[in-house]
Amino acid sequence: MKVRRLNKILLYDDGAARALNIEEIAEYLGKKLAKVGVEVRGNPFALYPLQDKISEYAGKIASIKIPDATKRMSSWQEPLYSEIEYEKRRILGKTTAFGVLYDGLELQRLFFELIPREERSLEFVHIFFNNRLFATWDDHDRRYHARVSLCGIPSIISTTGVVEAPAKPREYYLLKQQYEMLGKDLLELKDRFKGGFIDYEDERLMEVVKGYAMQAVFYSLVGDPFCQDKGCRLYNAHWQEELVFAQLESKYEFCQRHASFLEEMNGH
Amino acid sequence: MGIEKIEVKEDKTIKEFIDELNLSSVPILLELDGEIFYPDENYDRKIQAGDRLAVIPIIAGG
Repeated sequence: MKVRRLNKILLYDDGAARALNIEEIAEYLGKKLAKVGVEVRGNPFALYPLQDKISEYAGKIASIKIPDATKRMSSWQEPLYSEIEYEKRRILGKTTAFGVLYDGLELQRLFFELIPREERSLEFVHIFFNNRLFATWDDHDRRYHARVSLCGIPSIISTTGVVEAPAKPREYYLLKQQYEMLGKDLLELKDRFKGGFIDYEDERLMEVVKGYAMQAVFYSLVGDPFCQDKGCRLYNAHWQEELVFAQLESKYEFCQRHASFLEEMNGH
Repeated sequence: MGIEKIEVKEDKTIKEFIDELNLSSVPILLELDGEIFYPDENYDRKIQAGDRLAVIPIIAGG
């Protein structure tokens, strides 16, 4: 593996702090990469506290919403005043409402603008934790797919994506349809699958996100965030079952190859 | 997949570089001399023979 020298890992919080303890993630990354500094930056929009800047970014975010996951957006819509106000409240942490899907690549581009110019370099690992659900377009089946993460500059990790993007067991969706038709309580259904997938306010979310943060680090280190080993935290899980196994249940944290790599990085 | 450095063989624009590599519909960033940028915001920018551009793919997870 060709390894890139890292200067620093920088962690940002765009509304994810309620679900995550970002200081704890920083501590974890600091232990795994003892020779690389880790800094918690907090809300990326706080760098631009002026009201007009907040309005500008709120407008941009409001314009990259995906109204229909089966139709590729070619141009971005002019947002309504109320949509901009909603995004302003989200930026300022005054609402945590969900149910909106954003274009992940455009969201990442917007976050790229928030990174100081002198830090737009492969030597810095910028990770934006956020609670927005984002998606990317797939030409194969011609629809948007929700994602947990997008590795790039910056890398973005969505706590909502952890819950919504990897698929739940097929049986869950079949039963969910039945429950909805019969007007039954979905909490009862979730109880039947308890522990099988990550849910909102799940105490395991923190641990899961640490693995995704490591994927972002490996992306910057070697250009590839993923591992084929289903028990390695770098495994790219498409099912909740796979995610739970890779991040929480596997007997080892990293496969032998990636564990050795980290040991070498740390000079052991 | 992976970040790849490519040496430019002759003077051209970023747009020409991207088109030659069939990367116009692929989500990527470029790096030149330590500066990272989106190609579509720099299509007219000139690059010279001998420049080494890093092509940085954006990779989705989950």
